[in-house]
Amino acid sequence: MAVTVAEMSQHDRAKSAAERAAIDASCRGPVLVFASSAVFWLLAGSMLALLASVKLHVPYLFTGSAELTFGRVRMAHLQAVGIGWASLASVAACLWLMCRLSRAELIYPKMLYLAGALWNIGVSLAVVGIILGDGQSVEWLDAPPYAPPFFVAALGIVSAWTVAVFRRRREPHLYVTQWYLLGAVFWFPWIYLVAQFMIFWSPAVGVVQPIVNWWFGHNVLGLWFTPVAVGTAYYLIPKIIGRPVHSYYLSIIGFWSLALFYSWAGMHHLIGGPIPAWLATASTVGSMMMFIPVIAVAINHHMTLLGHFHRLRYSPALRFTVFGAISYTLVSFQGSLMALKSVSETVHFTHYIVAHAHLGAYAFVTMIMFGLFYYMIPRLTGREWASSVLIRIHFWCAAVGITTYFVALSIGGWWQGRMMNNPDVPFANIVAYLLPHWLTRTLAGLMLTIGHVAFAISFVMNLAGWGKQRSGGPTFFVEPEKKT
Amino acid sequence: MTAVDIALFATVVGSIVLFGGAAALALGWAFRDGQFDNFDQGSKSIFGPDEPVGEPTDAFPGANL
Repeated sequence: MAVTVAEMSQHDRAKSAAERAAIDASCRGPVLVFASSAVFWLLAGSMLALLASVKLHVPYLFTGSAELTFGRVRMAHLQAVGIGWASLASVAACLWLMCRLSRAELIYPKMLYLAGALWNIGVSLAVVGIILGDGQSVEWLDAPPYAPPFFVAALGIVSAWTVAVFRRRREPHLYVTQWYLLGAVFWFPWIYLVAQFMIFWSPAVGVVQPIVNWWFGHNVLGLWFTPVAVGTAYYLIPKIIGRPVHSYYLSIIGFWSLALFYSWAGMHHLIGGPIPAWLATASTVGSMMMFIPVIAVAINHHMTLLGHFHRLRYSPALRFTVFGAISYTLVSFQGSLMALKSVSETVHFTHYIVAHAHLGAYAFVTMIMFGLFYYMIPRLTGREWASSVLIRIHFWCAAVGITTYFVALSIGGWWQGRMMNNPDVPFANIVAYLLPHWLTRTLAGLMLTIGHVAFAISFVMNLAGWGKQRSGGPTFFVEPEKKT
Repeated sequence: MTAVDIALFATVVGSIVLFGGAAALALGWAFRDGQFDNFDQGSKSIFGPDEPVGEPTDAFPGANL
């Protein structure tokens, strides 16, 4: 019996869809474990952040409690959102995207459940330990000494499994997202182990310690969160709109130039500090060279989307992801300029840095992770998001909240730096000047937290099976008009 | 030079060799494996018969888009 082209095509579609469904099913459990715990730590981190923020303009709040002092709460927030939310979400991204792009099922998922448990024990120990006073005064490595072994073990399993999936790939081509993910799972364990070794286990002497500290601190963003987030955007944007990346050549250039230059950039945090001048200068050069990968990514994302911007109105995943992708360009341009000594002498040690850090960690990384969750979770659970109202609340609270946060602290931080460099300005005047900026920061943080609560409710509803089955279309911000 | 200094020195040098070496190996493998031979085909590798080029996966069924 003759088989028509249409029947062949239908057969191919069904076969391909079945393969994709089997791949998603193989990684469903572990990915949902990492995603769920990420959402939990996002909420915990948001509460800690709010408390820290309020204490800046209400300094006598909870002064009777050593556990709730600003120093401890702020460090606990960083661990909860950095090693908790963003890292766990990144692991979920690594596993799901690597399985899909390799067209390979996840093997031995029980080991990843173990990794998820170890990671969460580590974050719990870090957050609770810091609050109880066991924190260590090293930025980004503030976790008490009993927490890192859990991260190291979990990270080892996650990295090994990501590579194992890649080794079992049926898709011969290594897509640009896979380059980024493989880079991330290789770089992060490496920088984490070296930093732990050189700062805690066998401490380097004197100025080498802060050098290692900021080499690590900067590379956590640049060689862990950035590759995962940029790689995710390189998958989601073309996939959602159904159009290949504008210039694949440019995307590969972007990856390799990030690999080459990013690890130089950390020393710009120590400009003006007691480190060798050539080290700070080399770092400034590395920061300037980062314009290459950033411009490559910016051109590619913009040109890929060209003609499809109207889809931002309907797709939550696309809107969050594009917000994050635009923020990547902004934060990277800003970061490169901040590495200039003339800029650094004003903004260093000010709230401008806090604004910049949140532009990177939230507006860029977190928004892309939200986009990923909106795309990935329905495909794993088989259910759409239950409420478009909650998604709208989430997006607008997140977008307006982080924009307000960034603007308030950038303006406040810039003038704070100008005043701090002027010996005629009394320090108390600078504190008084910053008060409204801190209040705005709290209001922005409150908006972000409301958004996170809406997101968490959506997430739990989806896991509980409250959304409609994924047989029809997805849940949009607004329902598109019907064809006439 | 103490044992600690030697260990730190070995860590730094070892890291540079490991990092640079891994990057060189990965790049060499990619060229040998033909990963950079056809960029047009590479960019389409995320699409398949069920989710082809030109078909949004956040589809808007019945929508006038």
